[in-house]
Amino acid sequence: MSEPAHAVSRDEEESTDDQPTTGASSVIAALENASVEIVFGIQGGAIMPVYDALYHSDVRHVTMAHEQGAAHAADAFGIVSGRPGVCMATSGPGATNLVTGIADANMDSDPLVALTGQVPTAFVGNDAFQETDTIGVTMPITKANYFADDADTVGDTVGEAFALAEGGRQGPTLVDLPKDVTQTETDHEPGMPTPPESYEVPDEADPETVEAATRALEGAEKPVILAGGGVIKGNASEELRAFATAYEIPVVTTMPAIGSFPEDHDLAMEIAGMHGTGYANMAVTHCDVMFAIGTRFDDRLTGGVETFAPDAEVIHVDIDPAEISKNIHADYPLVGDAKTVIDQVDQAMTATPDAAAWREQCHAWKDEYPMDYQAPDDEPLKPQFVVEAVDEATDDDTIVTTGVGQHQMWAMQYWTYTKPRTWVSSHGLGTMGYGLPAAIGARLAADDDQSVVCFDGDGSFLMTGQELSVAVREELDITVFVLNNAAIGMVRQGAGCLLRRAADGLGVPVDPRVRHASRGLRGARLPARNLRSGSRDGRSGPRLRRAVGRRRVYRPGGERVSDGAERRRQRPVRHEPGPHGGALNGR
Amino acid sequence: MSQGLTGPSPNERPKPEGRRNSQGIRIDPEIEAEPKARRAVVSALVKHQPGVLAEVSALFSRRQFNIESLTVGATYDDDYARITLVVEEPDPGIEQVEKQLEKLIPVIAVDELEPDAIRREIALVKVEGDEPEAVHAVAEMYGGKVVDASEETVTVELTGSQQKIEAAIDTFDRFAIREIARAGTVALERGAEATG
Repeated sequence: MSEPAHAVSRDEEESTDDQPTTGASSVIAALENASVEIVFGIQGGAIMPVYDALYHSDVRHVTMAHEQGAAHAADAFGIVSGRPGVCMATSGPGATNLVTGIADANMDSDPLVALTGQVPTAFVGNDAFQETDTIGVTMPITKANYFADDADTVGDTVGEAFALAEGGRQGPTLVDLPKDVTQTETDHEPGMPTPPESYEVPDEADPETVEAATRALEGAEKPVILAGGGVIKGNASEELRAFATAYEIPVVTTMPAIGSFPEDHDLAMEIAGMHGTGYANMAVTHCDVMFAIGTRFDDRLTGGVETFAPDAEVIHVDIDPAEISKNIHADYPLVGDAKTVIDQVDQAMTATPDAAAWREQCHAWKDEYPMDYQAPDDEPLKPQFVVEAVDEATDDDTIVTTGVGQHQMWAMQYWTYTKPRTWVSSHGLGTMGYGLPAAIGARLAADDDQSVVCFDGDGSFLMTGQELSVAVREELDITVFVLNNAAIGMVRQGAGCLLRRAADGLGVPVDPRVRHASRGLRGARLPARNLRSGSRDGRSGPRLRRAVGRRRVYRPGGERVSDGAERRRQRPVRHEPGPHGGALNGR
Repeated sequence: MSQGLTGPSPNERPKPEGRRNSQGIRIDPEIEAEPKARRAVVSALVKHQPGVLAEVSALFSRRQFNIESLTVGATYDDDYARITLVVEEPDPGIEQVEKQLEKLIPVIAVDELEPDAIRREIALVKVEGDEPEAVHAVAEMYGGKVVDASEETVTVELTGSQQKIEAAIDTFDRFAIREIARAGTVALERGAEATG
């Protein structure tokens, strides 16, 4: 031990304990450089070397039930934490199963890094076992993707993918990792995540345009702030709140922006668009200056562009120049970071818009067109009531994840969101099945004392319900409420409204007692109004609660509010059998 | 039906007079028509690496940009290639083409060329070889040259603007054209001004 020669041999022995440095270990080293602590994925042949390196590191791996679940969990992890979530899958079916989740992240600008195995480079192009052209398949749904062809540079490539997913307008990136590249030894250690040199992110907007936009806003009689998901992505919620409050401008949000502005605030008009509030849409339609921040004017927000804020001068802040005047013409284009540009406009403001009458009008609309629903005593349980009751029973910082469908809209409409990054949902792609895997990702990104609740529909839940096994195995404290109307309800609603016929129901009931096959899961069927004690019973671990609604109670209510585009106020109205009642009401 | 909604029903609500066109631009519907498409030459300097052309053409396909021609070739610097595009879109569409191209990571710079930029196309026209001298004369008339002749055929190389090449092809038609191969537009700015 005291002999120098002996000491050297011990060092050698220690170093042989370490894995040799390979392409795979530089991939993991790159993740460590990016402070990644958790990866969601599923093992497989072509990705095996990377898993081998992963297991020799401190990075935690959560094995999901399906690769789609891995992508959604990583996506939700990214939404809640603000930093890219990482998902991993093998070649071929592993990669193609990620596709829905990657496309979802792309539509919502969620930061996500996908690592996929690939057949060895010598086999690429030969239709080898489990070979898919992952680069070709994911090209249109990623911000950037890379085929790694060199063990020496693969770590830096992963770093670059991470930096791109996180920087500028966030989004998904993918690195395809051929098995021979990850197996090859290399002495190159990857550096810190760095975007390519040619990649430029705008920060400050053009000062002259800021000046002109500010004059327009000051002079507005009917100003509205339209907050988009970019406010949350750009961590500008505080700035937005301060700005709106200081200049007394009503705030409308888009769906991805839920939580960017507290919905219990006096100036909050809540969500605009197809499933938004009547008063938000009235404010959008009648405003004379719209200060839009970090929104891409999606068609579910605008309806027909012909009648979207037709009298408004639009000030459009976006970090992505391509969003300016893509759907709605920007009279004042402000390309830059949301936080920075709000600050710039704030600095340039010299007066508060003279808009007292307008604010009064906005308040009047809130009174005239409220979100409400009828809950007669003979109704078993209204989904809206379930949402409200759980909101009441949980803390303000509770994270809500959803699938896609009617339950998603109720979760959005009847929960009062006050904090950013507490609403985790699939917006642009509308991915049914998003909610449960997202709850898993959100749980692992959230603070320990934060609750995670998933509202799902029975249709949506059936698509990724197998991920419950992950929640049980990992002992994740999440509560899932299945708002069960025994149907793909939103599509049925649309079919009933537009086609004048009903879509088929699901046929197979979702029953938590069936799901007890996942051992360790506690389930309950909530027949009535004992809900308030439902979500917090002092025990941890995943819970599944099925709220049973009366089947086929809801049909599209309210009115169609756009010409041409299918845009309508969604107000649940008690169904009364009419000419089409037979089809809608049959059990 | 109104279920606690006390405000006026849709038909009774005041509606804004204004309108936007399909590009989302506020217009006076009485006088303003939809903007007309025009032809623009867009030059993109890109990294010379595999997959860039696929990325660019996939972008045009998925965003339904109307593309007339796309040409890609090496530049003076081995690390870069130049893609020259001719697109036919209204002004907002051309702006979108440029911005979406710029978003692609391997794309370094994008610019629409001035209307007076130098634009050239190349075409090879193979005609029946019955009247080689007449073919030669027509080729000269269009500044082209005969690059191959056999007992049966004569092949002419033509360069020039699109209009010139189309006019030449029309003229060559009388010799019975067998085959044509054409390439898209390449273009550079005139004088000292840099392209893209």
